[in-house]
Amino acid sequence: MSWAVIIALSIGVAAQRLIGMFLAGPLLARRPALARLADLLPAAVVAGVIVQLTVADAGRLVVDARAAGLAVAGVLVWRRAPLAVVVIAAAVVTATVRAL
Amino acid sequence: MPSRTDYATLAFAYFAVGVTVSVAMLDAGASIPKTLTAAFVVYSATPQLAFLAVQAAGGSVVIGVLSGWLVASRFGILASSLGARYEASDTERAAAAINSFDPNVALAMQQEKTSDVRRVFWLVTASLMAGWWIGTVVGIMLGNILDNSDALGLDAVFPAILLAIIGSSLRRRDGLTAAVAGAAICAVLIPFSPGGVPILASALGAVLALFVATSDSPTPDSPTSGEPEGAGS
Repeated sequence: MSWAVIIALSIGVAAQRLIGMFLAGPLLARRPALARLADLLPAAVVAGVIVQLTVADAGRLVVDARAAGLAVAGVLVWRRAPLAVVVIAAAVVTATVRAL
Repeated sequence: MPSRTDYATLAFAYFAVGVTVSVAMLDAGASIPKTLTAAFVVYSATPQLAFLAVQAAGGSVVIGVLSGWLVASRFGILASSLGARYEASDTERAAAAINSFDPNVALAMQQEKTSDVRRVFWLVTASLMAGWWIGTVVGIMLGNILDNSDALGLDAVFPAILLAIIGSSLRRRDGLTAAVAGAAICAVLIPFSPGGVPILASALGAVLALFVATSDSPTPDSPTSGEPEGAGS
């Protein structure tokens, strides 16, 4: 991650937070479809990132120990377990499956 | 009012996020000053993890940054819902916007009195930051010691944290539709597209959900629905 990337990410994140606080309320109130899209966007893209991190090895689809860890994490998130429990379980399951 | 246990749980959650992001940054070859600076100025875990995911997939810097910006749209929405109830000077509102994370906005929005909104917001922010900064430093130390963090299963921790972050969206039918569609689009494209493009394309999952899951969702201005477990960063 270069310094330019760090600066670009910082500006993008801070700008969206400030726009959200000062401008988005009135803007989105007049455009309900846009408001719903903005609401749904994070879940869709984060899910894409999860897939990339879990079942891909660069440009190939692979199912390995990471998928087992994420499956356990999924059940725990669904059961509303605390984040620390989710994190530790995902790591332990993945490491165990990998060591088998 | 959040309880002491709430504050402690959130601080620990952010400690865990801080540790994992630092380890991920060092694993990806970033220096210690860069890891610290990124934690301080990017000031959120998801955009960093999204960029690193694109980078690991062989994607270009531009696609990585765009992916980071896309996942950060969550913070715009959080700041927007907080903004509707946060009454203060513009300077203080700007500071609150910059400090918007999932748990502090969710808990602040649960308060009935406007004065409590501000108080709870900053109290929760303080506990998040305590956990986050200690975690960031511990992660840097850990990342320096570990030869192979994959052996400890740390590579599965990043997606697990992301899953927990979108957990409250997944409990709504339209949020679940968006996530499943985004994941499916990404998975289908991975073998055929240049690195990182599948992540960008997963944004289309939100468009799809907009058409598929109609009129059964709560109001769009309450994305966090006030769950203190929401541990996103």
